[in-house]
Amino acid sequence: MADLLEIRGISASYGRIQAIAGVTLSVPDGAVVALLGANGAGKTTTLNTISRLVPVTAGSILFEGRPIERASSHAVVRAGISQVPEGREVFRDMSVRENLEMGAYGRSDRAGIRQDIDRAFDYFPILKERLQQKAGTLSGGEQQMLVIARALMARPRLLLLDEPSLGLSPVLVEKIFAIIRRLNADGLGILLVEQNASVALGASSYAYILENGEVAVEGRSADLRHDDSVRRTYIG
Amino acid sequence: MRFLAIAVAAAVLIALPLVTTGYVVYLANLLLTFTVLCLGMHIVIGETGQFSLAHAAFYGIGIYAAGIAGTTFGTPFPVSILIGGLAASAIGFVIGMVALRMRDIYLALATFAFGEAMQWVFLNWNAVTGGPNGLRIAPARLFGLELVTDKDAYPFVVATAIAMLVLTVIVARARLGRSFRAVRESEIAAQAMGVPVRRTKVVAFGISAFFAGIAGGMFTLFSTYIHPDSLGFQTTILVLTMVVVGGLGSIGGAVGGAIAFGLISELLRQAPSFQEIAYGAILIVFMMYAPKGLFAFLADRFRGARHA
Repeated sequence: MADLLEIRGISASYGRIQAIAGVTLSVPDGAVVALLGANGAGKTTTLNTISRLVPVTAGSILFEGRPIERASSHAVVRAGISQVPEGREVFRDMSVRENLEMGAYGRSDRAGIRQDIDRAFDYFPILKERLQQKAGTLSGGEQQMLVIARALMARPRLLLLDEPSLGLSPVLVEKIFAIIRRLNADGLGILLVEQNASVALGASSYAYILENGEVAVEGRSADLRHDDSVRRTYIG
Repeated sequence: MRFLAIAVAAAVLIALPLVTTGYVVYLANLLLTFTVLCLGMHIVIGETGQFSLAHAAFYGIGIYAAGIAGTTFGTPFPVSILIGGLAASAIGFVIGMVALRMRDIYLALATFAFGEAMQWVFLNWNAVTGGPNGLRIAPARLFGLELVTDKDAYPFVVATAIAMLVLTVIVARARLGRSFRAVRESEIAAQAMGVPVRRTKVVAFGISAFFAGIAGGMFTLFSTYIHPDSLGFQTTILVLTMVVVGGLGSIGGAVGGAIAFGLISELLRQAPSFQEIAYGAILIVFMMYAPKGLFAFLADRFRGARHA
C-alpha cells in the first residue's frame, strides 16, 4: 500500500541543541503508527516538524508523495494534516461550538462544516450536550475529546496525536483509544505519540521507539509488545 | 435591552447639540474621538491579546497627516481623515512586523519605545510638525462647507465614530475576528488550526493603528491646534485605562469605558494635581474588584439583586 506520510532522515534543532537527528519513518495509508520514547526523546519535535511548527535542518517529508518540508504550517493544515497538540489546548473562553468552528478555519463550505459538526457528535456524543458551554469549563477528558473533534473539523487524511492519554484516568484513556480505533477504521491515518507504551502498542500496527532524537527500535506493534527488552525498558 | 440602549444613545447624540453649550459639544467630540481610540485598543489587546503601548503615537500620526493634508494641501476632510488612518496603519504594519517577533512584556516595551520615539519626532521635526510650537490646523472643508465651531463638526464626528463602531463589529464577526480570539486564547492551538499566527497579530496591530489614525483625523475636525505634549505615554495609558475600566474584550466595554472614564477624567481636570493619582487609584480598584470591567460588574450586581 502507498505511504500517506514518508519521512526521510529529518533533523531539527532548537538553537544549538539538536532535538532529532536523521529520523526516518512512514505512515502507510489508513494505518495507526505509534511513536514512543522517554521524555525528551524527540517525539513531539518530530510531530512539530511534520506540522511545520519547527524548521527542518535536513531531510525530507513527503505527504501523499508531495514534499512539505518547506511549506508553512497553515498550508500543511490545508493539505490534509491536522495536529492535536499536547496538553489539551482548547480555546477556553470560546464555546464548544466555536471551538469546533475554529477547527474548520481553512474551510468556507458552510453546509459541509455543519455536517462535520454532526459527525463529530457521532464520535463524541458528550460534546453535543456541552455545545454552548465554555470550553474551559469542561473536564479533562471532555477537553481531550474536544481537541480531537476540533482537529477533525479540518477534514484531515492524517491526524497527528500528541499524548492523548496524558493526565487521564484509565477509564477515559480506554474511551479515547476506542474512538481512535474507530476513526482509523473509518479510514483516517494516525501518527500517535505516547508515553503510555502498552496502550499505544495495543492501538497501533507499527511503532517506532525514539532515543536521544534517533530511532532506536522499530517493528510491528504486536512483536514489540512481546519483545522482552522493549517490555523492560518501556512498559515495565 | 440592546435595542433600548441603542435608542437611548441615538436620542442623546441627536439632542446634545440642540440643548447644550459649545463646551459640552466639544467634550462630546473629544469623547467620541477617544471612543474610536478605545475601539482600536480593544482590537489589539481585547481581541488579539497583544500589548500595544504606542497608541498615542498612531493617534499623533493621524492628527499630523490629516492636519497637514487639510491645512497645506486643502484636501476635503473625508480624504484628510482617510489619509490620517492610512498613514498610521502603514507605519503600524511596519512596526508590528518588527515588534510582534516579541511577546508579553518585551512587546509592551518595544511598542512603548516606539511611542516615545514618535513623540520625540513630533517635537523635533520642525519642518513638518512645527516642533515645540505645535501645528495650527485650518478648519476642515468639504465643497463650500467649512467646519468652524464644535457644533459644525459634531455631526461628522458622530458619523465617523458610528462608522468605526460598525467596522469593529464587522471585523469581530468575520473570520478575521475569530482568528484574533483564537490567537488570544491559545497560539499553539491557533497554529494547529492553520491560523497564520504572526500574520494575524500584525494585521490586528495594523488595524488598531488605522483606528488610532482615524481618531486623529476626527480630532482635526474640531480642533485648531495640536501640540506634541498631548501625544505622550499619558494618552496611551488613558486609553488603556478606559478599555480596562469598560471591560477588556468587549466592544460595549470599550465604548462605555471611553465615555464613563472620559467624563471622570474631564471632571478631574478641576484638580489637575490629583488627576494622575485618581487614574492610578481607579485602575487599581478595577483590577481588584471588577477585573471584567465596569459593565460586567454592574450586570453581575443587577442580576444578583434580582435573584435575591
